[in-house]
Amino acid sequence: MQPMIKVEELTKRFAGVTALNDVSFEVQRGEIVGFLGPNGAGKSTTMRILTGFIPASSGRVEVGGQDVFENSLVVRERVGYMPENNPLYTDMRVTEYLKFRARIKRLPRAERNERIPEVMESTGIKEVAHRIIGHLSKGYRQRVGLADALLAEPDLLILDEPTIGLDPVQIRQVRQLIKDLGKRHTILLSTHILPEVEMTCNRVIIIHRGRILASDTPDSLTRKLNAGGVIQVEVRGPGSEVQAALRAVEGVESIEAKVLADGFVQVNLTPKPGADPREKVYQVVAARGWTLRELTRARTTLEDIFVQITHEDDEAEEERREQRRSVRR
Amino acid sequence: MKNVPPLLRRELNAYFASVLGYVALMFFLVVMGVTFAVVVRYLNSGPTQLTAMKILFSMFWVPSLFIVPAITTRLLAEEKRAGTLEMLMTAPVTDVEVVLAKYFGAVVLYTLMWALTGFYVLILKHFSGSGTMLDLGPIFSGYLGVIVIGQFFVAVGLLASSLTKSQVAAALISFALVFLMLIVPNWLTYLVPTGPLGRVFHAVSAFDQMEDFERGIVDARPLVLYLSGTVLALFITTRVVESRKWK
Repeated sequence: MQPMIKVEELTKRFAGVTALNDVSFEVQRGEIVGFLGPNGAGKSTTMRILTGFIPASSGRVEVGGQDVFENSLVVRERVGYMPENNPLYTDMRVTEYLKFRARIKRLPRAERNERIPEVMESTGIKEVAHRIIGHLSKGYRQRVGLADALLAEPDLLILDEPTIGLDPVQIRQVRQLIKDLGKRHTILLSTHILPEVEMTCNRVIIIHRGRILASDTPDSLTRKLNAGGVIQVEVRGPGSEVQAALRAVEGVESIEAKVLADGFVQVNLTPKPGADPREKVYQVVAARGWTLRELTRARTTLEDIFVQITHEDDEAEEERREQRRSVRR
Repeated sequence: MKNVPPLLRRELNAYFASVLGYVALMFFLVVMGVTFAVVVRYLNSGPTQLTAMKILFSMFWVPSLFIVPAITTRLLAEEKRAGTLEMLMTAPVTDVEVVLAKYFGAVVLYTLMWALTGFYVLILKHFSGSGTMLDLGPIFSGYLGVIVIGQFFVAVGLLASSLTKSQVAAALISFALVFLMLIVPNWLTYLVPTGPLGRVFHAVSAFDQMEDFERGIVDARPLVLYLSGTVLALFITTRVVESRKWK
């Protein structure tokens, strides 16, 4: 099946600044994809290009098999978009605004009358239907923006920082709403909040300095980077023997051991890249008849991964710059 | 162009959802009402060549210079500042549709203002029964004149609004442009009254043109001048709105 979003070698330059540099990715139908990156990484720029607000400098962007530049109006009819900071006409009432949006999205009258109550129901804004948008709380406004994005039953929802500026209760509500919407829509959302991605998305695309650094499920990203993480073992047994036995386990790179006050030996194992020696460790300990009370791998969170990946990239960038400088000299 | 009606409706609602529409109407009606009252008093004092509506139409520069910038500067500048332009332009509407809807919205408000002075015509008609005739021809052509000239300045104001995010800056640009095109040519006709240059100044002076319209003369030249000027201003505005795409 055709992917919902197909971006190939997308580059965007603003006067003197390269905001996106050779970005390629795909989003399949039904996925909830999180676009993760620090501020200024190029998330909003990518979304603005996907929705046809600004064109790319080079590269190809397709939504639902349609070129975003050539068939901009067709694409815009199929995409529900909530821009960063969710700009709305603050002088309008909620229903009035949704009616206006439904009209310019070319919904026929019958469909309008059906969809507006539906989206107000699903986003929980029925009770503020007749209030002026400018008088609503940020949480409600966010939901009005979501309701608008949903009006035309779009194939694809693009949400730029949907939970920014909300209080924790509102954040939870909006996240739940996005999860529910993910059952029927393909969603691309951007955020710089990591737990958000872990909670709502099937897949994460990490973007930094206009380039994609990683794209995977939150779990497998965590797993991949975990291989190589430190394994902590606590064993009751003679200190030197324990050390020798564990050092000999296949897949162990190095160990550090310390005898604890209660007679247990605490060992930190650094496995060889890609190896997971936990099973072997257990077998060795069990074969000697020692008592094992802990065998854990320090769990890397998505946050660690993010910091690690972007940090590596920063270092690489620094190196490149250094090289360029030395070449010039 | 299918999206123009809903967009236009939103524009008109926006004028009256805020105080702007009411304040603009009030300002206009105060100026015109006071003028009308004074004029009627004056005309009652003795025989004259002037008519009440003629004097009223000759006040056309007040709404063009003050009200037109006031009702147009918000149109695109505010959408840019608030970011709502992004919402608008990512909906399936074209840039031209948005520009046209905003232009027509302001023209409708401007026309509505002048339409309210129709009550003055009714008042004159009611009280001028004895012997005098109210000549409707020059009244119609006078209305045509103020609207044709005014709609051009609306387009100019919209252009000014497209150039910046700041409403105040847009208002000043728009005021300066209207001043240059409306007031300055009139002054130049006094500085250079004759000769080929003088003829050009007379031809582009809105005051000279309004004198014709007030007298019931509908000259095609100002109509062509202002309508083509509007097309040009709206075209440039559309290009400016599109310019986000070439940056």
